[in-house]
Amino acid sequence: MSKLRMNVKATPIIGAALGALILSATAVGLGHAGDLPEGFAKGELAPAPPAEMIEAGKRVYFTKCVWCHGVDGAGDGPGADRLWPRPRNFNQGTFKIRHTASGELPLFNYNEKTPDSGKNDLLDTVTHGLPGSAMPPWEGILTEEQRLQVLSFVTTQLVKDRKFTDKQSETQTILQLGTIKPAEPTEESIKKGAQLIVDKKCIECHGVEGRGDGNAFNLKDDWGFSIQPADWHKCWNFRGSRQDPYNVRNIFRTFSTGVNGTPMPSFADSTSVEDRWSIANFVNSLCERDAEGKPLGIDPLTDKPKINFVVPSAPVEGEISDDPENEMWKKQGRRYVAMGGQITHKPRNFVNRIDDIWVKSLYNEKNVVYLIQWDDRTKSVAEGKLPWAPTQVNVENFGVKEQAPKTGEEGSIAAAQNNYSVYNDGIAFQFPIKWQEIPAPFKPRYLWGDAKFNADILKWEADGSLRSFKGTGWDQDFEERDDFEEKVKLLKSEWKNGQWTVMISRPLKGDKDDYDEYTRFDIGKYIPMVFFAWDGHNGDAGRKMAVSAFYYTILQPPIPQEVYIYPAVIAVGVVFLEGWMLTRRANKKKGKVL
Amino acid sequence: MKALMSVGALIGVLGLLMLIGMIFGVIPSNTVRLVEGYMPMQVLSELAVFVAGFTGLSYLANSMGVAFPRFWQGVLFWAFIQTYLKFRIYPPIPFSVRAMYGTVSFVAVFMWVSANEEDWKKFRQPILNVLDANTGFHKALRTMYLILLPLLIGGFSFLTMKPSVDEPIELRTVHPAPPASTKVHGKTYTLQTSQNPYRVNLEGKFDQAYSNKLIVEQGMGRLMAPNANPWDDKAEGYLKYVREGGEIFFQNCHFCHGDNLNGRGLHAFAFNPIPANFTDPGTIAQLQETFIFWRVAKGGIGLPNEGFPWASVMPPWEQHLTTDEIWKVILFEYWHTGYYPRTWD
Repeated sequence: MSKLRMNVKATPIIGAALGALILSATAVGLGHAGDLPEGFAKGELAPAPPAEMIEAGKRVYFTKCVWCHGVDGAGDGPGADRLWPRPRNFNQGTFKIRHTASGELPLFNYNEKTPDSGKNDLLDTVTHGLPGSAMPPWEGILTEEQRLQVLSFVTTQLVKDRKFTDKQSETQTILQLGTIKPAEPTEESIKKGAQLIVDKKCIECHGVEGRGDGNAFNLKDDWGFSIQPADWHKCWNFRGSRQDPYNVRNIFRTFSTGVNGTPMPSFADSTSVEDRWSIANFVNSLCERDAEGKPLGIDPLTDKPKINFVVPSAPVEGEISDDPENEMWKKQGRRYVAMGGQITHKPRNFVNRIDDIWVKSLYNEKNVVYLIQWDDRTKSVAEGKLPWAPTQVNVENFGVKEQAPKTGEEGSIAAAQNNYSVYNDGIAFQFPIKWQEIPAPFKPRYLWGDAKFNADILKWEADGSLRSFKGTGWDQDFEERDDFEEKVKLLKSEWKNGQWTVMISRPLKGDKDDYDEYTRFDIGKYIPMVFFAWDGHNGDAGRKMAVSAFYYTILQPPIPQEVYIYPAVIAVGVVFLEGWMLTRRANKKKGKVL
Repeated sequence: MKALMSVGALIGVLGLLMLIGMIFGVIPSNTVRLVEGYMPMQVLSELAVFVAGFTGLSYLANSMGVAFPRFWQGVLFWAFIQTYLKFRIYPPIPFSVRAMYGTVSFVAVFMWVSANEEDWKKFRQPILNVLDANTGFHKALRTMYLILLPLLIGGFSFLTMKPSVDEPIELRTVHPAPPASTKVHGKTYTLQTSQNPYRVNLEGKFDQAYSNKLIVEQGMGRLMAPNANPWDDKAEGYLKYVREGGEIFFQNCHFCHGDNLNGRGLHAFAFNPIPANFTDPGTIAQLQETFIFWRVAKGGIGLPNEGFPWASVMPPWEQHLTTDEIWKVILFEYWHTGYYPRTWD
C-alpha cells in the first residue's frame, strides 16, 4: 500500500476501512454519464452557511487574513504589493484548486467538516495552504470550525461577482476522485504519459523536461499578472499538493479540472481518464527523488525536502571529469541546498525565483570541484556590458532597487515580474579564509564575511566569467584577486531545458602553505560554506539575490586503518569477558570460590 | 478489573498497530499528527496510552495463563521507548538526548523489575538459565549469544569509529543578555526605563492594563477580542497603532516569521536556525518590550557571539524602519500572539 492520502481519518479500524475503500473503488467504477467529461458527475450546490457562522468568520478574517487579502477581499492587503504570486482577489470568485469542472466555483460546504474528503476544496486549501506562495497551512492554528467560519464569510461577503447558492448561474460538475481507481505507475503508463505531454502540447509551457521553462514570459493570469508554469521537478511547490506532494491524485485532479484564472486549461473533455492517469504518473515520476528512486523526505515543519547541512566531497584518484554523467559523479550523492531571498539588507529580494540548488563535490590531491545544478526557467545573459564593475556589490544606484512597500497593483512586485532589465544569472559560494583560526562554532558573517574574518568568494556569471574575490563585509565591494585566473577553473556551464549545470574547480590551497589569500582545505574538517544565486530575469544583481544558510563542506578522508583494528580488538575482549563470566558461574555452581 | 484491563489492552494494541503502520508507511504517516505547541502533552499522553495498553495486555495474558516473562517485558518496554523517541518525535532529537532518555528509562525499568526479591528473581531467571545452559535449547541460545555479542559490539564500535559526515551540533543562546542601553537613529534608549510610546490608552498615557484588555484571546486560533477590531474605521489609539504595526509586519517581517507569527514564513525553510516563533511561550512572552526593541533594531548582526550573529539573517531593522515603526511592529506582535510583554517589576 502506498503512502497515498486516502479519504480515511484516524479510525480504530483502519484496516477494515482501507479494505472497504479499495473494494468500493473497484466496484463503483467511473462516473460517466451523458455529455459530462469522463470521471465527473453532476453535484448539488451546497446550502448557504448560517448567519452566525458568517459573523464568527468575520472575526477570524480580520484577525488572520485581512493583512494580505485586504478589507474587501480584493487581494490588496498591506502585504500584497511585495508578494508574487499576489494574494487571491476573492471578488471574482475565481479559485484555482478544485474538484469542479473548469470555470466552476470550487466546492465549499460549511457542513463538510473533514479536510481531504474531496467534498470541500476551500477547506482543503485553508487547511494545507498553497505551497510556493505566502499562503500557509492553517491546520493546528485555526480549528476546523474556525476555518469553516472564515470560509463562510469569504464565500458570502467577499466573493462579489458570483453566488455560491445561485442555482440559475452556478453548476457543480464534480470530479469523482474518491472512486476513480488510479492507474499503477508502471513503466508502460509512464512512457505513454511522456508521449502524451508532447501530443497534448503540455511542453509548450512546461518545457521539454517539465521545468516550467517553455512559454515562460508571456503567460498572464486573469488579473493581468505574469505567472509561470509549474516546475514538475519540484512537486512540493505545486499549489494543489495538499502537503502530500508525491501523491499522484493531486496531479490527476489539477490536470482534470484545470487551474481557474490561469492559462492552465482542463483536459477533462479531450483526455480519457486512463490517459490522464498516464500523464499524472509521468509528471509525478519527474519530481526529484533520492538515489534509490524513493520520494525525498519532506520536512513537516516546512513542507519542503529535509535538509542536511553538510556537503561532503569524496576523494578520487587522478583527474576529475567535467562530465556530470561520468561514473565518478554519478556515484557521488547530491545534496539539496535550500535558498531564500536575501532579505537582510537593501535591496531586499522578496521574490527569489531560485529556491533550491543541488550540489555534489569531489576532490583529488590538487583541486576540489563543485557541481551545482539548479532549475531556472530562463537563461539570462545581460545584453551589452553591465554598468557596474564585477567587484561592485552596492548597485542600487544603477536601478537595482527593492520593491516599495505600498504601490498599489500597478506598481506591485507581481506587475513588475518579467519586466525587469535582464542581468546575468549567477552562482557563488564563500568560505571563511582563515577558518582554521576561528574556534567553532564561530563563523564570519554569512553575507560576504566581515572585517575581522574575510570570505573567500568564487562567483560565476552567465556571461561565462568565473572570478575569485575577497569579501570583507555585506556592504563592502569585493576585492578582486590578481592571480585567480590560473587557479580556479570553470569546467562546465550549460543551460538546458530550464536547468543550469555549472562545475567549478578550485585549488585546495594557495601557492604557499599560509592562507592569507585563499581558504586552505584540510581533509576531514568541517569548513563553513554559503551559497548565493542570481536570476537575471528577476532583476537580481548585487545583494538582490537568493542565499542559503550556513552549510559545511568536508573533504571525506579515506577510512584509516585503526577503524578496522580497534573494533576487532574490542570484539576479542568481549569474548574473553564471556569466558570469564561462564567460568565464574560454573565455579560458583560447583561451590568453589575463587 | 478484567473489563478495565481489556479496554486498556485494546487501546494499547490499536495504538501500537497505528504507530507501526505510520512508521512503515502502511497507513499515512500523518494519520495522527503531532501538532506544534501541543506536542509535549501529546507525546506524554501517547506514552501513557501505551503504558496502559501494555499493562492491560500483560494482565490479560497472565489471566489467560500465557504469562509473558518479566525479563522480556522489561527488555521490550525499554526497546519500545527507544523506538518511539527515535521515529515518532519530530523534529528528530539528537542521539545524545535520546541516550539520556534511554538511561533514565533503563533505570526506571530496572527499578520496576527489581522492586522486590521475587520480581528480581523472575527477571534474573532467564539470564541464569541461558548462562547455565541446562537444556538443549538454552545451550543453543547461549552459543548464539556468545557469537552474536562480540560481533554486535565490534560492529557497533566500527560504525561509531568510522569517519562520518553528520551535521555538527552547535547550540546557540536564544535570548542572549541584552546591553544596558542601545542607540537607534541617534537616540539612546535605556532598556530598563524605556517604554513603548504606542502602548497608550485613549488619553494617550502609557497603560499596559488598557492594552492587555484589547489583545487577541488565548486558545485555538488566537482571535481578536470581540469589539476590538483594529480594522474598524473608528479604531483609535492603541488599536489603530496595532493595525499600523500589522501593516509594517506584513510588508517586512512575515517573509520569515510567517503569517501567523510562528516562524513559518515564505523564506523560512531555507534558514538554519529557522526564524523565531512568537506564538511559542518561550519567545516574546518571556521578554520585555525593550529587549525586543533592541533585537529588532540591531538584528542578527548586533547579537553578542553566544547568539551566533554570523548565522542570523535578521535584518538590523534600523536600516529599514523608523523608530516609531519598530515600536508599532512590536505592539502588533504582542497583540497578535495574545501575550503580555514582561515588565521590570
